[in-house]
Amino acid sequence: MLVLDGIAMRYPGGLAAIDRVDLRIEDGSFTSIVGPSGCGKSTLLRLIAGLASPSAGAITGRPDGAVGLVFQDATLMPWADVENNVYLPLRLARVSRAEAKPRIAEALALVGLSDFAQAYPRALSGGMRMRVAIARAIVTRPRLLLMDEPFAALDEITRNKLNDDLLRLWREQEITTIFVTHSVFESVYLSTDIAIMSPRPGRIMARHAVSGPAIRDADFRATQPYLDACRAVSRDLERAMAVAV
Amino acid sequence: MSRLLPLLVGLIVLALWETSVRLMQVPVFVLPPPSLIAEALMTDGPQLLDALLETLKLTVAAFAASFLGGLALAVLFVQSRLIERSLLPYAVVLQVTPIVAIAPLIVIWVGVDHVERAVFILATIVAFFPILSNASFGLRSVDPGLADLFRLYRATGWQRLWLLQLPSALPALLAGARISAGLALIGTVVAEFVAGSGEATGLAWRIVESANRLEIPRMFAALLLLSLTGLALNAVIVQIEHRLLRRWHSGHGEAA
Repeated sequence: MLVLDGIAMRYPGGLAAIDRVDLRIEDGSFTSIVGPSGCGKSTLLRLIAGLASPSAGAITGRPDGAVGLVFQDATLMPWADVENNVYLPLRLARVSRAEAKPRIAEALALVGLSDFAQAYPRALSGGMRMRVAIARAIVTRPRLLLMDEPFAALDEITRNKLNDDLLRLWREQEITTIFVTHSVFESVYLSTDIAIMSPRPGRIMARHAVSGPAIRDADFRATQPYLDACRAVSRDLERAMAVAV
Repeated sequence: MSRLLPLLVGLIVLALWETSVRLMQVPVFVLPPPSLIAEALMTDGPQLLDALLETLKLTVAAFAASFLGGLALAVLFVQSRLIERSLLPYAVVLQVTPIVAIAPLIVIWVGVDHVERAVFILATIVAFFPILSNASFGLRSVDPGLADLFRLYRATGWQRLWLLQLPSALPALLAGARISAGLALIGTVVAEFVAGSGEATGLAWRIVESANRLEIPRMFAALLLLSLTGLALNAVIVQIEHRLLRRWHSGHGEAA
């Protein structure tokens, strides 16, 4: 279990980005962090990834090995083809290309891009680029996948498709996933747990567990548990905003 | 069609030049007609080409030296702000000093018996700065998200340099190389002018010689060769740029 204990992050000058965040994340769960822009969601994710150190508090229970990280932007290397982009984490870990080949192929198959190994990012659509970024994040077989509004820039149809693919991936690979979003509907559709953050300084205002079928599909969006959860999360999100104003 | 336009403009200008010089009876030592220049090119061609080859050798050497030196120094700058702060002012001093002003010094130091060494050093100084500044800029213009990924996966300094910073710097570096190649040629010719003596064999000395003898058509022929060389150098670098960047940079043709 990943435990965030009293996490705070202050900028030099004293401005607090996040303040006293306590969060427990069960192994194998899909946790969404929902909040308005500027509430410190991304900062929280960077702290969990170890890219920054908190000003106070501690993070314990990080799984061994590499963590997978996906940004809002696909952040691919434009000079490298899809295969070499996905190879990057293994290459940095000094895994030989021969050894990496089957793992790259596996990761590309999981995101449905087996036929595009030799394509360059420039030739791909936004949705496909995001798939490459996800393949790169899972190629090291991480136990923890961190996603920072990965689908925010995509159109709704592409986003729904990627949501379903992500759920399948999460189920099959059993990767503990932390997913930052500002969309209530997306968070309810995807998550087993939802944490709602308030802005300035960012704090966890409420937690929700989403009950739903083990395998979710578009029909889930028409069920009562889905609608109830959306209503409850929206209400708490409004409260969180009211606190800030 | 658009490729033929510059050619068409050139032909029209040449025709106007030829007719007006003949009609107004301009003396040959002021402005020779293109036909005479072509004639000079035929008769003095081999000798001028030999001279051009000397100039070109020094140009390529100076360009190569400034490319490698500029890139190496930029890499050093990016590793350490301290090194950059300590050395950058001197690089700027070198850049803003007219080479004509330091040429005599360089000649005294290395060029008394070897003019070509002085020319090489002077041309390298001229061509050096665009590489240094473009490479420094390019090495720093790394996508912050990618930089985060490299940190996440605990990349070493070498890995970051080789797999992230150098590829990121490539477009800026090549743009710098284009400027620098032109400057290397200009630098070589100017240095030949100021450092040259009887034993200088480059094209600049042939121009001085022609002017002294009032062989103006020959001088124009030498100038023509010089312009063509500049154009060719530029075309070579543009080709390299296109080949290296077409896969990933907009404005360089379609992806493969």
